[in-house]
Amino acid sequence: MSHFTRRGLLSLPSGLRSLILGRIHAAPTTSLPQPRYFSTSSAFHSDHSSVNQDEVSHFNALASSWWDPQGSSRLLHLMNPPRHDFIRQCLNSHIREPGKKLRYLDVGSGGGIFAESAARLPNTHSVTAIDPSPEVVSVAKRHQRQDPLLLEQGRLSYRNCSIEELPLPTSAETAVDVLTVFEVIEHIRQPAPFLQACLKHIKPGGWLIGSTIARTNTSWFTTKLMAEDVLGVVPRGTHDWNQYIQPHELRAWARTQPDVDAEFQGWQIMGVVYVPGMGWKEIPSSEDWGNYFFGVRKKQVEAN
Amino acid sequence: MASIQYSPRLVRQLLQLPPSIRRSCFSTAATPSKPDIYDLVCVGGGPAGLSLLSSLRSHASTRDLKVAIIDSQDLTTSRVANDPSAYSNRCSSLTPASLDFLRNNGAWRHVDARRVQGYHGMEVWDGVSGAKISFDPLEAKGGLLETIAELVPGSRFQESVRKGDVAEDPAVMATMCENQNVTSGLLQRIKEVGGVEMLDKTKVESIEFGPEPEGETGLDLSQWPIITLPSSRRLAARLLVGADGANSPVRNFADIKSDGWDYNQHGIVATLHLDHSFAENNLRTAYQRFLPTGPIALLPLPGNKASLVWSMSTPLATKLKSLPPSDFATMVNAAFKLQQVDLSYLLTHAGSNLDIADELSWRLPNTSTAATGLPPSFPNIAAVQEGSIASFPLRMRHAATYTRDRVALIGDAAHTIHPLAGQGLNLGLADANSLAKQIVYGVEHGMDIGSTWCLDGYNADRWAANNAVMGVCDKLNKLYRTDSAPVVFARSLGLNLVNSLSPLKGALMGAAGGK
Repeated sequence: MSHFTRRGLLSLPSGLRSLILGRIHAAPTTSLPQPRYFSTSSAFHSDHSSVNQDEVSHFNALASSWWDPQGSSRLLHLMNPPRHDFIRQCLNSHIREPGKKLRYLDVGSGGGIFAESAARLPNTHSVTAIDPSPEVVSVAKRHQRQDPLLLEQGRLSYRNCSIEELPLPTSAETAVDVLTVFEVIEHIRQPAPFLQACLKHIKPGGWLIGSTIARTNTSWFTTKLMAEDVLGVVPRGTHDWNQYIQPHELRAWARTQPDVDAEFQGWQIMGVVYVPGMGWKEIPSSEDWGNYFFGVRKKQVEAN
Repeated sequence: MASIQYSPRLVRQLLQLPPSIRRSCFSTAATPSKPDIYDLVCVGGGPAGLSLLSSLRSHASTRDLKVAIIDSQDLTTSRVANDPSAYSNRCSSLTPASLDFLRNNGAWRHVDARRVQGYHGMEVWDGVSGAKISFDPLEAKGGLLETIAELVPGSRFQESVRKGDVAEDPAVMATMCENQNVTSGLLQRIKEVGGVEMLDKTKVESIEFGPEPEGETGLDLSQWPIITLPSSRRLAARLLVGADGANSPVRNFADIKSDGWDYNQHGIVATLHLDHSFAENNLRTAYQRFLPTGPIALLPLPGNKASLVWSMSTPLATKLKSLPPSDFATMVNAAFKLQQVDLSYLLTHAGSNLDIADELSWRLPNTSTAATGLPPSFPNIAAVQEGSIASFPLRMRHAATYTRDRVALIGDAAHTIHPLAGQGLNLGLADANSLAKQIVYGVEHGMDIGSTWCLDGYNADRWAANNAVMGVCDKLNKLYRTDSAPVVFARSLGLNLVNSLSPLKGALMGAAGGK
């Protein structure tokens, strides 16, 4: 993996990233479950990208099945509606300017499952979607062509790059209201610098919203053993369980960020569980042992 | 073309151009015009298709969808007859769930209420054994009735006593309404909300997928159904809805198989005049008797009118239809009132020189209602409305699936049910309701409403449910079409048992009503 840059991986869609990570995990790791530290002092390589190239290769290989209804991305498709419900929950926790259309940045957009859906919503101004895997981005662009709505000027733009490579917004107005990292963090070796890079693109009062998996015995059992090895609903090697993050670890990191409001309504969380035959269901408190959504709000006024 | 001279050099240069440009040089005239893009195109302007559109137009999330409906008939003229003394022979028994749906999408206000008749109870009895069951919503609200009703072909009142559905008149089990009255209400509602492009008096010329895209960028409609109209106008549909009836062209386009069988039976329908007229606030009852030749049902319409549905073998139907109207009316009385052996004799000899009225007048006084199970409230049929006797073949068809990428089937395009169960219209409205809900959910979550991700929920919601109803109707039809003694004994035992166990009836009604 060393000869790859990591940025490719980070820009991959979250689903792909998960898949890629799983492959990494297939190589024996000896580490025991330990806390993940978000401190930026940990080795963050000079390659200036959060992307894990093994993940990029993994998701490149999966690109063609991205939009296959019965393919390996099925669980991701089914998870998409709860993403919107959760985003609405976050946005509705604070007063907003009525009728103001939203700018989205989807990091790790994959085949575009979330990016397309966000771009179709009537209150969306624009969606920028980035992913480090060129194959995956070309799948996303090809699929975008099948919907005339998504071809409208400025509605949905894909870029094959990492968050570090994306030019920073020139003003608060062009920064985004919602930055999404769905099923991404678990594929990233150094989440803290990655999330900090994301924050720079969000306007004051905007949201960093994502989903990931808690690092517990349950999540190892469901996402590694059952999903990948036994049931095979997720390609083997998709997840690296050691990279899973606990909700309290995320929140602890958010509290160290001066421009983030991680208290009260500025911190949102929702645990979801996949119920075969019923899809993803919200289960209160399941965030501590399974898949969960999180949202942190950037402070209304920038901290100096 | 032959008149134009190309220099060899020009031809050579042209050939070096990429194929797509070459084509555009030569075939601009032959290239069909760009299709108009629609979010939803519905083929078929019957109750299912119209109710889907009026639902979508009435919901805030789906109001902005670009929608069109195509029908070969004229959808602008009101199709309700104005003659209060004449009723169409095509009536449906609307369940409270159907009525709720029509109220919620705003169409029921436009239905002519004077031509609608609710009924409050149903008498069902076995033509061979006389065993009976009465359904009375006042006795046990919300339950067993429906369970049994679903099991009885011709009962026409599935889901009839649902709690919360019966806000207007809690005692109403189901509501008789002419199909054209429903259609007219829906059309007026669509006119009221606007925004639906009505392509009526228009045949669908062809449906095919869009062309393979040329080049690496730009719109790719190769997975979109493109509908061509006789005017050469073309419509590209994000979602193509087939509400186009039993021989659905949309279903054929989607290559969805529809399996089933014919019963070699016909259903006779007619509008009947009763010998006394009911007031608007009278409690009304529907009647159904299971005869070995097939079930016969009498469903109330306003005043002294009633709707007949009677199924029988095709030759017998042909014979009965050829009877003089007065003899036909007498035959209907006989079919409800006489013992099986007498009725059999009349059916066999009808059409010969037999004086049917005379036969009935001497046989009836010698028939014990205890033996036939005839309910005391059963009215006398006085006459048949002129020209109202019609028949249609009974068949069962069920599409293998209701959805494909960018295609959804609703109503008769998805299923043709044994018509005597009277569930056809109800099932079609339930399809439309379910599909509308899926589309609303899809729009609110940014889905492509033509994608399987959006449509899967509709298929999951309706296919299995319809399959169950159809299977039960089919099995019961077979069960009741026999007069073999053990079967008659078993089925009469079933009816009597259920009827005598009021608590069981209530519990069943509750279970079915609470879902």
